Amino acid sequence: MENEFDLKGIHEKIQLLKKVSEDILEEADDFPSLSRNCSRILASIKMMELNVSDIHGHS
Amino acid sequence: MIEEQKYWNPVLETLPQEEIKKLQLKKFRRIFEWTYQKSNFHHSLYRKAGIKPDDIRSFDDIRHIPTVEKSMMRDIQRKDPFPYGDTLCVPLDEVSEYHQTSGTTGQPVYQADSWQDWEWWSECWSYILWAQGYRPSDRIFFPFGYNVFVAFWAAHYAAEKIGAEVVPGGVLDTQARILKIQEVQATAMMATPTYVLGMAETARSKMGIDPASLTINKITCAGEPGASIPTTKNRMENAWGAKVYDHAGATEIGAWCYECEEQSGGLHINDGFFLVEIQDIETGETIEEAGRMGKMIITALDRYAQPCIRFDSKDLIMWSSDPCPCGRSFQTIKGGVIGRADDIAKVKGVLLAPSAIEEVVRGIHGLSDEFEVIVDKKADIDQITLRAELIPDARDKEDSIKIQLKDQLRLKTNLGYIIEFHDYGTLPRHEVKAKRFKDLRKTMS
Ligand SMILES: [Zn+2]
Repeated sequence: MENEFDLKGIHEKIQLLKKVSEDILEEADDFPSLSRNCSRILASIKMMELNVSDIHGHS
Repeated sequence: MIEEQKYWNPVLETLPQEEIKKLQLKKFRRIFEWTYQKSNFHHSLYRKAGIKPDDIRSFDDIRHIPTVEKSMMRDIQRKDPFPYGDTLCVPLDEVSEYHQTSGTTGQPVYQADSWQDWEWWSECWSYILWAQGYRPSDRIFFPFGYNVFVAFWAAHYAAEKIGAEVVPGGVLDTQARILKIQEVQATAMMATPTYVLGMAETARSKMGIDPASLTINKITCAGEPGASIPTTKNRMENAWGAKVYDHAGATEIGAWCYECEEQSGGLHINDGFFLVEIQDIETGETIEEAGRMGKMIITALDRYAQPCIRFDSKDLIMWSSDPCPCGRSFQTIKGGVIGRADDIAKVKGVLLAPSAIEEVVRGIHGLSDEFEVIVDKKADIDQITLRAELIPDARDKEDSIKIQLKDQLRLKTNLGYIIEFHDYGTLPRHEVKAKRFKDLRKTMS
């Protein structure tokens, strides 16, 4: 189905965001405020994956 | 402007069904593989059945996977590691939310959610709220006990996520809640149908407030079938001067289906996040045709900490054949959750669903919102007693209401009833879920 959204482009940006967040998390072992906030960001990124990345090949 | 956008996810909610099916299969394989690798309980269940992740290539393969019942979760949670047993797929440190089932049918089942799964809960609820017209401009009042039961907890978080304003009405009593709704001019609220009607009665009879004069314009229900029973829905909508929407969810499953603004008589399954199957209650055969009732087997496709794979929910549902005018491609079930397989009683050889009695009682003018149904045996013959209350204005119409009740009950359920009228206000009032159906034959034998 055609739609007005560039899902592939959004998906790529989500993956970029995920990579950056994972990198920060890796550096945050001894930095609780950074580590925990980053974990929560990754949970929100997962929701964007469910809403976009999972379906971009299907639409 | 996002406020004007009809769908929470304009792509997923309009995806053609054949693409949704492919997505479901892809996601099922993903969650099954994860669970097989991470949960000892699931791993041994599937290994005993001789099923490995690579075996799953079609929906037919999925149907051969063993189902999970509440009693199995209960048994495994009695064993170590405390408190979730061998059901977790993440380290205990990653669990951020504890909830439990009510335990009305035995020891409660404990449910763990990681923060990601809690985000997922509120994501599922965001689909519901958006479809029911909730927007950032809403001020939503939550008149429920914030405690160990999941109830409207995730709806609270979803309301924040969609950008609405949340007013938590936790430990207030009913009158204080009504006053708070009035004071803050709340635009929406969420409660069980029993409590929606109970609040309206309290406002009218104890406070002299007409609930329709308050600013509530939409109400979302859960916990009981009421909002999908047309006569109960009418009573609630008339009492509050508001739209009343149904939704269904459960602690072990998630918020899996919802009525949309069209109120077309069916509830949409969130097909993007859940896989719903319907099985014949007696034979276990898969039901694909519309209009035939069976029990639901459900998989939460994206719940990772304590997964829900082919869970035998005992909820009775049926497919609807009518597409919803809202344009969502998600499948619909007709009349919502009709009841629970455990609540269907065989009386004089006839299958009786308590919701059918509710539909009749709530449709008769002159009866209050409360009633009770007692099934027992006299001289080895089943008998059903319906206890109802006449409202004060209808006392002189007792005989005609009794005839009306008997006729409509026979038509709707094929059974005869003993009708008892009790004084207005004397039947038990319930705050959350009501237990109005009592089968005493189980305790007599
Ligand atoms: Zn719809």
